[in-house]
Amino acid sequence: MSTKRSISLLVALSLIVSIVLSACGGPATKQPVVVRIGWAGSPDTLNTGTAVLAEAWSMFELVYDSMYNLQLDGTYTLDLADSFTTSDDGLVWTYKIHDGVKWHDGQPLTAEDVAFSYNFYKDNVDFPYMNPYTYYFATVEATANNEVVITLTEPIPNIDYQLVFLYVLPKHIWESENPTEFENTAMVGSGPFKMVEYKPNEFVHLAANKDYFRTPPLVDEVIFQTFENKDALVQAIKTGQVDMITEMPNTAVEALRAEPNIEVVTGAPFAPEVTDIIFNQCTPESCPVDAGGVCTGHPALQDRDVRLALAHATDKQKIIDVVLLGLGTPGLTLIPNGLGMWYNNTIQDYEYNVLKANKLLDGAGYRDADGDGIRDMPDGSRPLTFRLNWPSDSINAPRTADLLSEMWGQVGVSLEMQAVDPDALTAQCCPAFDFDIMIWGWGSDPDPNLLLGVMTTDQIPTGSSETGYSNPQFDALYMQQATEMDKAKRQQLVWQMQQIVHDDAVYIIPFYPDEVQAYRADRFTGWITDQPKLALEDVTSLLVVKPVNK
Amino acid sequence: MKRYQFLLRKIAWSFFTILFVLVLNFLLFRVLPGDPARAGVRDPRLKQEAIEAIRVRFGLDKPVLNCFQSLNPLRLGSCTVNPLDTQFFIYIRNLLHGEMGISFHSNRPVADILTERLWNTVLLIGAGQILAIVLGVVFGILAAWKARTAIDYAALISSLLAWSLPTFWLGIILLFWGSSQGLPIGGKATPGLSSLPLLQQWADIGRHILLPTLTYTIVYMGEYMLIMRSSLLDVLAEDYILTAKAKGLNTFQILKDHALKNAMLPLVTLIAINLGFTVAGALQIEAVFSWPGLGGAIYEAVARRDFPVLQGAFLLIAVSVILANLVADLTYSTLDPRVQPE
Repeated sequence: MSTKRSISLLVALSLIVSIVLSACGGPATKQPVVVRIGWAGSPDTLNTGTAVLAEAWSMFELVYDSMYNLQLDGTYTLDLADSFTTSDDGLVWTYKIHDGVKWHDGQPLTAEDVAFSYNFYKDNVDFPYMNPYTYYFATVEATANNEVVITLTEPIPNIDYQLVFLYVLPKHIWESENPTEFENTAMVGSGPFKMVEYKPNEFVHLAANKDYFRTPPLVDEVIFQTFENKDALVQAIKTGQVDMITEMPNTAVEALRAEPNIEVVTGAPFAPEVTDIIFNQCTPESCPVDAGGVCTGHPALQDRDVRLALAHATDKQKIIDVVLLGLGTPGLTLIPNGLGMWYNNTIQDYEYNVLKANKLLDGAGYRDADGDGIRDMPDGSRPLTFRLNWPSDSINAPRTADLLSEMWGQVGVSLEMQAVDPDALTAQCCPAFDFDIMIWGWGSDPDPNLLLGVMTTDQIPTGSSETGYSNPQFDALYMQQATEMDKAKRQQLVWQMQQIVHDDAVYIIPFYPDEVQAYRADRFTGWITDQPKLALEDVTSLLVVKPVNK
Repeated sequence: MKRYQFLLRKIAWSFFTILFVLVLNFLLFRVLPGDPARAGVRDPRLKQEAIEAIRVRFGLDKPVLNCFQSLNPLRLGSCTVNPLDTQFFIYIRNLLHGEMGISFHSNRPVADILTERLWNTVLLIGAGQILAIVLGVVFGILAAWKARTAIDYAALISSLLAWSLPTFWLGIILLFWGSSQGLPIGGKATPGLSSLPLLQQWADIGRHILLPTLTYTIVYMGEYMLIMRSSLLDVLAEDYILTAKAKGLNTFQILKDHALKNAMLPLVTLIAINLGFTVAGALQIEAVFSWPGLGGAIYEAVARRDFPVLQGAFLLIAVSVILANLVADLTYSTLDPRVQPE
């Protein structure tokens, strides 16, 4: 054989060999299963003490553990603790921490970490949300037996609610850091997911913690991607760039429902939200002058009949249909329907009846003295013209205000409407009480205590009370429910309080907005959608979703 | 000597303008209404003690200036406090150390936030500007040379159309079209790719920057084209161009040696000024394409009353614009011999 031929033969042979070898090379690397979630917000910070935004708390729920878990039906289950005991006087609570829990960096999690975390939250007064949860803690200590002993200053009925958001932090990392400046970008926790990469305002990339002390997630990674506008979100799920979106403009719902692979789901929001129409009922006697109260409210609003008439003149369903495109439920009191057992769903709302409203106002003496179509005070001194204000960053308020103006115009009430800068509105609202009617809202958390407190007399000078409502019976019930240890009895008290404020027409609650989310049905299955609350980005769903079998 | 005096005077003026901006910046954000400690957070959990503690942490409890406790609401204070312990001097002192304060919203140093965002913006706007300049100049030259022909009218109409399109509208249209073609819907990079080699990461960023740059180029190209066209038309009407044509020079030679040098002058000024505003970012484009740039940071900071970030960003923009103007001034006086340094 000539040299040329043997060389070409050699080349051909080596080519064949290399092809064969590459074909039966090692097992192909498995692609990780990644859930991509799109949202329009972003965590403000990963520091559990200073964080304020809901998005940050979504991250904490995934990466950290706490003593309890809050389920989507509002109940609490033990998480880090296996069991607990209470002393007879209800002051000493001893929690036995589960053995063998590890931090994401491999260090063991012990009662020392728990005690450190609780004292950490307690010692920093400028932690806006975390510090108040430790209000009743006298001391928190760890024992050698991996137990945490919490001693309270007084017995409370809802220690589960106080502990559920106190995320347990690793002592060996946090003890040497500045509490408010520590950015915590590594987010070493003990939870079912751990941090991979964080780009502020761009994305958060988490991976499953396969060493999680309970059942680890079925997926490998989760990515939360931030989109600056909601139309991009909708487009992202349509084109499959994300597998689930946590919000969307209500106008996109119909279009998304029509898409073959997309499921749109609605439910009560995980973090309860309530929009309220606030009446300034502050009387000259209750005006908190020392705290800066000027109390310029229209005197007619101090009359229950006027508020009642306005309630009868409000067509809540119409407001929901126009403003929320039908995605909401008519409101009752400041306690939203998302609060489960604490929400009094037996209250009969004021029916939309313009005739009744007019009769009420006639009967109470508010007639149109000067024939301009607007009712006046019984003594003819002032027309029933109310200032209506709302924060300028509110999306729903302007349209709601328009509708109210129309509806209340039918009963002879006129409105001077003005959007106001949120901070200027706060200065006007409370404790200055320099307004007539406002449209605003509250965010809340799972226990009704704080929202109920807004309507007590004590909160008038502090700025939490926005109506100036003062009812000694209500105040007494508030003190009672704050210490009633029996859940059923406490529920009765809370329900009674809601009935009282509804009877007194303290607010008009137009609606509780629905949470609207969507997911790609052809990507992942197992999303939890049958619970009273909807939160597909919560750990409850992300622990159990798995890829759709092709 | 005259040139050095000229240069020094220009630089000194710029310096004093920057100082003025510093002071104005500070006062502006103290005069705006609103208490950052409560900005937007409407939650019954936020107690008075927490609000006070937050205010102390950010130094908001200190007097703004000697004799003024706060500017909005206007409250007079002690005139005898240590001036170095007022918000104004703390602000100046921090600036001298290169610190721009801490964001009220995320507790991160403002300098960190702005630096991250600045590079993203410069990347996007830089690419867009360069393309807009190149395309604008080319079309401008074409239109001017073929003045009053179909080509000219077509270029004129399309430039005016492009320049008058609302940026966000064009952005959304391109976003919807681009995403149906498989281009990413927003952001700077696909999350989760940081372990890949640099080249692939850059390719990913390239895919993300395509649509925003296209939007920017289309809208801003019109401006350059129109200025170039009108400037060149003026020059082409001059007698010496007629002479050049009579001498038998071809198009390319006329443009290169005689016309363009003179026509470029207004364009140079425009480019310098626009580059100064580069730093302000293209807010609409960043909002539509979720591009993490300075414009988006400003927009979010405004909504949250995040004054330190706004102060830092405004300072950055002001310095950038002032410097760009300085460069434009100096370049113009170098390029145009008719401008005598006084």
